[in-house]
Amino acid sequence: MNIAVYILDIIIYIGIFSIVAISLNLEYGFTGLGNFGKVAFFLIGAYTYAILSQAGVPFYLCLICGGIIAAIGGLIISLPALRLREDYLAIVTLTVGEILRLIVKTESSIGGGVWGISVKRAISISFPAGFSAINKTVINAGVQIVLIFGILALCFIVLQLLTRSPYGRIMRALRDNELATESLGKSRAKYKAQVFMLGSAIAGIAGGLFAQYIRFIDPYMFMPIVTFTVWIMSLVGGPANFTGALLGATLVQIFDRGTNILKDYITLPIDPVNLQYILFGVLIILVLFFRPQGLLRESKFTTRPLKLVYEKRRSDTSNKKS
Amino acid sequence: MSLMLICDDLMNVNWIQILLNSAVTGSLYLIGAVGLTVTYGLSGFPNFAHAEFLTLGAFIGFWIAEDIGAPLPVAFIVAFLITGIISVLCYRFIFQPLAKKGASTIHLMVASIALGFIIRYSIGAVWSWTPMYFSIKWPSYIVGSVRIAGQWSLLIVVALVLAFSMHLILIKTRIGKAIRASSSNPDLALASGINVGRIILITWFAGAGLAAVAGIFRAVNTQIWPLTGWDIILPIFAVVVLGGIGNYYGAIAAAFIIGLAENVGVVFLTSIGLSTEYRMAIAFIIIVITLIVKPQGLAMLFRRG
Repeated sequence: MNIAVYILDIIIYIGIFSIVAISLNLEYGFTGLGNFGKVAFFLIGAYTYAILSQAGVPFYLCLICGGIIAAIGGLIISLPALRLREDYLAIVTLTVGEILRLIVKTESSIGGGVWGISVKRAISISFPAGFSAINKTVINAGVQIVLIFGILALCFIVLQLLTRSPYGRIMRALRDNELATESLGKSRAKYKAQVFMLGSAIAGIAGGLFAQYIRFIDPYMFMPIVTFTVWIMSLVGGPANFTGALLGATLVQIFDRGTNILKDYITLPIDPVNLQYILFGVLIILVLFFRPQGLLRESKFTTRPLKLVYEKRRSDTSNKKS
Repeated sequence: MSLMLICDDLMNVNWIQILLNSAVTGSLYLIGAVGLTVTYGLSGFPNFAHAEFLTLGAFIGFWIAEDIGAPLPVAFIVAFLITGIISVLCYRFIFQPLAKKGASTIHLMVASIALGFIIRYSIGAVWSWTPMYFSIKWPSYIVGSVRIAGQWSLLIVVALVLAFSMHLILIKTRIGKAIRASSSNPDLALASGINVGRIILITWFAGAGLAAVAGIFRAVNTQIWPLTGWDIILPIFAVVVLGGIGNYYGAIAAAFIIGLAENVGVVFLTSIGLSTEYRMAIAFIIIVITLIVKPQGLAMLFRRG
């Protein structure tokens, strides 16, 4: 395989999983919601995209519908558990991922069942004659990168602004002390449900992007390992830092591909796929032990009133010194 | 399909057989879930690697019984001990230090999922991912219109013995008292001179050992591969949630309720033309309904647990 094509493929995967990772950062890192069923919303987005695009709906509508349906799914799933302790939400989300995979596996009318469903690319370019196959692939990959990283940038900016707004302050307050937040009159179930919907919608959009990029999806692509991979990305990079999620997604993807390449050069006594997941598990436990806040910590940021306070304090202390 | 036809179908079902199957399923879920619910109640987080203890036990049992050729009771005992020891080591060297460092519930759950992946893929590396089958042939009895396979009767007997002896242990012995005290109020238990840390280790040992027994039964009934335990994680969590977290008596009731719901549910599923694959969805529905209606589960019926 051509190296340039391979690198472009890695970049596209980094983009798609960065989107999922920042949605997990929003839920877990900023709001303290342990979503162990990320793959469920990824799956909803992917299948919605696949089915709608087969019906001839334009790609942006497919993506948006995937996001909306994932958000509704997120609302329905989270409602029974949001009022309860965080471990109930973990159980419900984990099991819902299994159930959704079971449904798409069993109902062959939804997405071809175990045989999967083929998906059209979002943007297909008709090349003039005389283009070599490799150039076509590279240009197509370039289009994909523009599309995926455009959406990633959009999500990144929106979430960054959201977490720095008063709304984001409530999110972080809920994470740090639920009871205190509720005593200030902020309904925790309401805010948690909203954040969960937003995170699910973003994961759904990422699922749609994933489906249209690989052009074929089947239930076996949505195993619980996907959720776990996203958790590694978020925890390694820094759960409460969106740049950290990007960093985590990049590192995990490179590690993933790196071990895939290595297996062609080194013969190991055990199957490299098994070894890779064992290493993932060890890595996550080490991160939890030695750096639970991730590589990049939660950044301090200043809103305008806070900035004024800080400036006043600084000028006060400098006055005192002089 | 018309309603008449569905009713007709249901009339032809052998309900006694369904009841027996429910008891078999319930027994399996009880043995598999009892360790999870007790450790969950004591340590305060669901150990998602519990499903992997089932798998690990099944593989150790398979190795002892099929590769070494020892009789099945030996396989059960060795699998119980090894899985229990591994579980204790996992708790002692992963979860306990993490909890001491002040890790949140979510961190502990992530760690347990990570541990699950380590065990699952280690099993995959050692034994491969191709499904295998126990070669032991069980006698099968026909009583009236009901068929009883040998392994089923053994499973029901084991579950009944377990349920009864656990009851005696919890009520009569010092350790049982200590377990109940630690799960209802750890601080008070500690202040009354109970070594809560040791109690937790004991429950992790026995819980995982029982999971290993359940894993062997599951493998004997179906197949053995690295997802043997994960395949039934939904009903196991349903037992824990419906029974009330940490509640032993609730778990007994919940296991048999879910066994019944699944087997009756499968009859209804086939009669309305849905795939029997959805039997796992029944457990999921039970989890969701429990959380909406009564998050404490059946625990309120059993004050004593």
